[in-house]
This record gives sequence, C-alpha cells and structure tokens, in this order.
Amino acid sequence: MADRRVVITGIGVVTAAGVGIEPFWQLLCCSQSAVRPLSLFDASKYPSSIAGEVPDFSARNFVPKSYRKSVKVMARDIELAVAAADQAFRDSGLITRGTEDLGEMSIDSTRLGCNIGAGLISCELDELGNAARTSVDENGRFDIHKWGAEGINNLNPLWLLKYLPNMLSCHVTIIHGTMGPSNCITCGDASAHLAVGESIHYITEGTADAVIAGGAESKLDPLSVLRQALIKRLCVSHNDSPTEAGRPFDVSHDGLVMGEGGGLFILEDLEYAQARGARIYAEVVGFGAACDPAAYDVKTPTVGSIDIAAKKALNYAGIDADAVDLLIAHGTGVPAEDKLEAQAWKTVFGDRQPAAAAITGAIGTLFAGAGGVELATAAMALHTQTVPPTANFTAAADGCDLDLSGQPRQADLTYALSGAFTVGGQSAACVLKRYEA
Amino acid sequence: MSKRRIVITGMGTVNPLGHNVEQTWEALLACKSGISPIEIFEASTFPTTFAAQVKSFDLADHIADADRHVHAGRHAKFALSAAHQAWQQAGLDSIQDLDRSRVGIYLGCGEGRLLFEKLSDLVVRSWDDGQMNASRWCELAWETMDLYEEFEQESNMVAAHLAAAFNLCGPAFNVLTACAASTQAIGEATGQVRRGEVDIAMTGGAHSMIHASGLTGFNRLTALSQRNDECASASRPFDMTRDGFVLGEGASVLMIEEYEHAKARGAVILAEILGYGASADAFRITDQDPDGFGAAQSMRAALADAGITTDQIDYVSAHGTGTQQNDQVETLAIKAVFGDDPAKVPPMSSVKSMLGHLIAAAGATELITCVLALRDQILPPTINQETPDPDCDLDYVPNEPRKAQANIVMSNSMGFGGQNNTLIITKAS
Repeated sequence: MADRRVVITGIGVVTAAGVGIEPFWQLLCCSQSAVRPLSLFDASKYPSSIAGEVPDFSARNFVPKSYRKSVKVMARDIELAVAAADQAFRDSGLITRGTEDLGEMSIDSTRLGCNIGAGLISCELDELGNAARTSVDENGRFDIHKWGAEGINNLNPLWLLKYLPNMLSCHVTIIHGTMGPSNCITCGDASAHLAVGESIHYITEGTADAVIAGGAESKLDPLSVLRQALIKRLCVSHNDSPTEAGRPFDVSHDGLVMGEGGGLFILEDLEYAQARGARIYAEVVGFGAACDPAAYDVKTPTVGSIDIAAKKALNYAGIDADAVDLLIAHGTGVPAEDKLEAQAWKTVFGDRQPAAAAITGAIGTLFAGAGGVELATAAMALHTQTVPPTANFTAAADGCDLDLSGQPRQADLTYALSGAFTVGGQSAACVLKRYEA
Repeated sequence: MSKRRIVITGMGTVNPLGHNVEQTWEALLACKSGISPIEIFEASTFPTTFAAQVKSFDLADHIADADRHVHAGRHAKFALSAAHQAWQQAGLDSIQDLDRSRVGIYLGCGEGRLLFEKLSDLVVRSWDDGQMNASRWCELAWETMDLYEEFEQESNMVAAHLAAAFNLCGPAFNVLTACAASTQAIGEATGQVRRGEVDIAMTGGAHSMIHASGLTGFNRLTALSQRNDECASASRPFDMTRDGFVLGEGASVLMIEEYEHAKARGAVILAEILGYGASADAFRITDQDPDGFGAAQSMRAALADAGITTDQIDYVSAHGTGTQQNDQVETLAIKAVFGDDPAKVPPMSSVKSMLGHLIAAAGATELITCVLALRDQILPPTINQETPDPDCDLDYVPNEPRKAQANIVMSNSMGFGGQNNTLIITKAS
C-alpha cells in the first residue's frame, strides 16, 4: 500500500465568482475581482461593507430532490460545502447517490472517505431573535428565565444541528453515501490543507480508494464581520471601491477582505483513477504542518510557522525548494501578516523565488474555505501550465519580495506549493505535481 | 516494513469526578456520580436543570504560569491542566534537546462558550418590525464585544494554548466531530506517530457545552435527561428507564509516542494503541443508522488495523450515552460484530453513567479509564442499572466494578451526524 499514489480527479469550488471551477478560474486569469457590496445583510453601518459574496446562491440546486427538505437545517457554511461537493463529484465522473438521486454508486461506499474543514458557524441572528423576542423583561432586556421556561420552544428543534461544524461533512456523507472515514478539521484557514494532508493517508494506507476533502466557510454575518474588525485585520478603506480592496503583498495593502465559499476535491488512488479512465488534474506528493507557539494571544500577528510546514511538505515530496515552480501564497492582505508570510517564503526559498500568486485580491479570504480554493488554483495552474495573476497587484510592499504579477504567465510548471495559516497559529502546506500520463 | 508500535506514556484529566487521573478512577470505582444542579449559569427554568460540572477548578492550582492563559476559555483551562499532568507523567522535561517541531498536537476540542445571553439581549434590543435591524445591532454590539471572548470561541484555540504552554511548533490539528472528536483525534495522532511525521503527540480533547446555548440546543433536540428531581442518578445508559444523556464538561490529554522511542528514553509505558477505525453512517443528521451498520464498520476497521479478532477483546468501553436510540443501536452494532451468542460478547460498560457526557472530550476520558482498567484488571461499572431493557440485553457491568482478566480492550465513540470511531488498546508489555 505504501506505493499508492494520490491524484486529484475532481474539483468543486464555490466563490464570489459563482459555483464551479470555470467561473473562478476565468475571473482569476483575467485578474479581476468579484468583491462587491455585501447583500446578505444591511452592512452599511459596518466598518467593512464589502465582501467576496457568492452571488445568487441556492443550495437547493445542488442537492438531490429527495434531500431538499434538509436544506432548511443547513447554515450557509453547510450549503456552500454541499454545493462544492456536488461540483467535485460531478467533475470527477464518480457516480454517487447524490449525483444521481438515490442512484447506484460507482464506487464502494465504505471505501469512500470525507474530510471537510470548517470554522465556527455563527448563529443566525434573525432566527435567534425571532425566538427570543418574547423572552424579555419589563425593560425590554433578554430574560434567561423566560427563555428557559418558554422562549426556547420557539426555536426549531434541530437548531443546534445547523451550527455543528461536523455537519458540513455529515450532510455530504449522507447526500453522496460516503461511509469510509469521515473527519472535520477546525483550524481556521489551515483547515483545508490539513484535511487534504490527512486524507492522502486514507488512500496511501489503504482505508479508502477515494476521499472528498477540502474546506468551506461563510463568515459573512454581522457577528463575524465585527469580530474581524475587532481584531483589526479588516480592510476598512475600500468600501467605495470594493474591487480594489483585496491587495495581497501590494504596496497599498490595507487589510483583509472577507469572502465566503470553499473548495473540495476528489482525491483518488492513481490506479483506481486510471482503471476508470478518470481525468487527472495533478498529483498530491507532499504535506507538512506546523504551528506558532506565540499565537495563543490572538493579537499577535502570526503565519503559523509556515516555513516549517513548507519544509516538511518538501521533505515529504522528496524535493528541494529549488524544484518548486509555483507558490500559491495565502496573502491575507493584512500588512503585518503579508510581511511575515513573505519572510517565511524567503526562509524556504532563499534568493530564488518561484513564480507566485495569491487569490485574495479576486475573491477575498475564505477562512476554512480558503485552502480549498488555493489548492484548486495550484491544481488548475499545473493542469493548464499557467501562473495565474494576482488581482490588484501593482508593486511589492516593503519586505514582500515575492514573484507576483498582475498578468497571467505561461510557464513550464512541474511542482506547486500551496500553504495557509490561521489566527491561533496553525499552518499547513501541500505540494502538488503536474500529472503526466 | 512492519507497523511501528505506538504507546501511551502520559495521561491527564479534569472532569466532573476529579482534577486528575487517580482521583477520577477512585470515584469511578466507588460508583460516584458527578452530576448536580447547574451552578455555572442560570439554568433553573430550562427543561433540564442539571449537568456534570467540573467543580472548584482554578488553573493557578495546576500550572505555574496560569496568568499567561487568563483569556483562555473554560475548556482550554481544563486542557492546560490535563496536558501538564500528561507531560509530567511522560517525563518529557527530562529529554535534553527535545525537537519541538517533532512534537505534534492533535486534539478533538469543542468551541468555546457562545455568549448566548449577551447575544440574545443585543438581538432583542435591535428587533424592529419582524426582523433584526443589523445597523442598530452593530452599534450596540460594537460597544460590548471583547476581542478575547470572541476569538477564544474558535475551537483551534485550545491547541494554540497548549502549543504556547509547551513551546511546540510541530503539526497542530483540531477536529470537531461532535461526540466522537477526541477518539478520532487519538486515532489520527496514532497514524502520525506511526508514519514518523512526529516523534511524540499530545492528543485528547476538551469541551464544555454547559452554557445557555448548549443546553438550549440539546434540550430542543430532546437529547437530554430531564430527571430534575433525582439528577445524581439521571445518567442511566442501557437501563429501560433512561431518558437522555447528561451534559458534562472536561478535558483529557494523552502523550503518545513510538515504542522504541519511549523505551530508549526509559519512559514508563502505560498501554499500547493497537488499532483505530473510523466510519460514517451516511444515514441522517438526526438519527443513527438503526441497524448500527456504521458503528459496526468502525469496530471492524479497528480490529483489522490491530490485526486481531473479536475473541481477543476482553472489554468494551461503550459510547453508552443514555439516549433511547444510542444504547439500542450500539447494542445491535456490538452483536453484529461479536455475534449473537452472549458468550461471545465481552462485558461492556458506560462510564458516562457517572461522568456524564463530555461531548468532544468524552472519548479521550473514556480511553484513560480503559488504560486504568488494563492496569488494575478491574472494569468500571455502568451505574443506575435497575430495570433491564429487552433491547439492551448485554453484560453492562451493572452497578459495581468487577475484577477481570483484561488484556485487550476497545473504546467506541459515535458522533451526532454519524461519525463513528473506535480505538483498541492493550496492556503495557
């Protein structure tokens, strides 16, 4: 089993560009931004009122008819994951009971795993308020006694299940009939890389032949937007020019732009994929993870010791840093984080910087969904032999000497490295390799 | 290459029955209940008014630099104590030049406390014509939000605090597969050590859902016991009169490492991890697969990973929550794996009858009781067994601990949403 190789045979992304890999890749390669005024709630009074919001989205279009009733117990994070999963399975050509409503699976369901990174899902405030508004005292303040005795009964009995982070995985396992190992990693922006890194071992160690893995999240709600403002990571200077707000590593970077969505992959044993004639985007050949012990204080800017994670991933892949042709950086656009991240890449690559790109200019930061779309970008770059541009990049910020460009570049790409890190200090990196039949 | 052997060299816990391993074990063997009326928030009018709470815990009594973690959530503080206990027992301070990039963290920790009362108050004060006025809410919230209280809710923060406490920079994972999380964490951590990605892993879980949001959510699901008048005996797994689980809280942390690594440094080996299995029910988010297929599949995967057969299992630590459905399905799943002949099914007990359900922290805490069962050759009981349920007809080690010859034991966890995990461990040799 040790010789089993893992390849990507399906990609499903949901981003501000829409549902599916094509609109995203097109947006990215045109160096455009899909960041726009927030429409999910009235954000006009919020420090930031813009976001990479998924447009015109209805999860009902991505679940089989027999499962549509369940959409009402899905928080938006779950809806986005379910849509990404639908896209990934369809893209891979595997038939599940989700892609063909209650149909015959084309793969042994007990040999199909699931590993979807998720974040802290925010409680929907309208839903809570609707239940809580009668539980008030004479001064109009919330009264916990009235709530416990009566108000609580106004909530949907399944209320809690909307907000458990493992429900991204659970709904996907139920819809598509995956019965192998199922996990839910909750390490912020590093979650999807960690999920992919863990899932490759399900395949190399033989507990699964294929795994759906990645991450998804939506923090486009009042509470989460204020949290990002509170920690002073948020870009608050471009509310009138949203498409110019996301500027990773750029000389005028001014903070994080919130996005939502995610990316899920079908990871598959190479021989299994070959036997069914699957299209192969890229091979996953390396994984590493690390953490920053100073990050327990969330006020301390961190990139999660991503240089250590990257070196471990290169070591796993058995290649030198010099062999890396493309770097997909995380690029939150927060000046202190961009600088630390660029320093970390300098530690890894020395003076020979590979061609680099970051996707946050185009779609914002997707938190637990970020890594999924970043890895999709790396896979598409290898598949199409294109270095995608970094939207809004004009000139490097001081200390951010990455080889970025505002224009797409054709190149001979064999190895791509993608890494991500999170508030709280975890990081992870994956190495992808061009697949040649 | 044969599989590298993985051993447990340190354990620590903070839970409703004790602030360390020995205190907890003593209480379990004395059949004590950790359940009492809820004191940590105002719950007197809820359908359920009791829980299994950690009592009189002050982190400063447990670690030297507690001030550094002053912002940490309640469950993170439990985890800091548990991790120090485990680290100390493993004797890791005595290692010269410990490579801290090769010590991994793999936890199954829950989210921190949602500030439910505050959030609800802000929402009702912003209520305007059938919906929340988001602008008004923003103005009110901005005045009252505290950075640390908000960010410590993210479930990766426990790992962040443990990394700080032991100055670790290796791989750090947190998984939150509901009630199965810490069993899954230990299983996946075992894989990392086996593969040589890390030399040592700090693994386990922490959780507290004893707050207004957690109680609201589980009460609405009608998952909790409502035996308010006799709460100490409310957790009744497998008994006919069971009416739901009892919410608990706590943390348990284990240090695991490769056998030769542990031996070479003269560490005391507490137990060996033989196998791990994971599966998904893929059934419904609200219900377990009534046939127990997913749970059985997880046990079979663990048996295969351990390379052993069912007749070698001497004891099973049940998930045993005390809900009607769980205990029935779990009994069926056990029979599916071990066979219908009662003689072929090993004794199985649920320490949740005494500890309550520690949610994400449950599996790690239960695995510690398995290690102690192997050490002392004694099985912890399921208490409150009074009225047999014909659908739960196995030997649940009723009401008192039992001397037994136990060489290999299995521990099961099953999460809301259908994620199942199984660990198999054996005596230190």
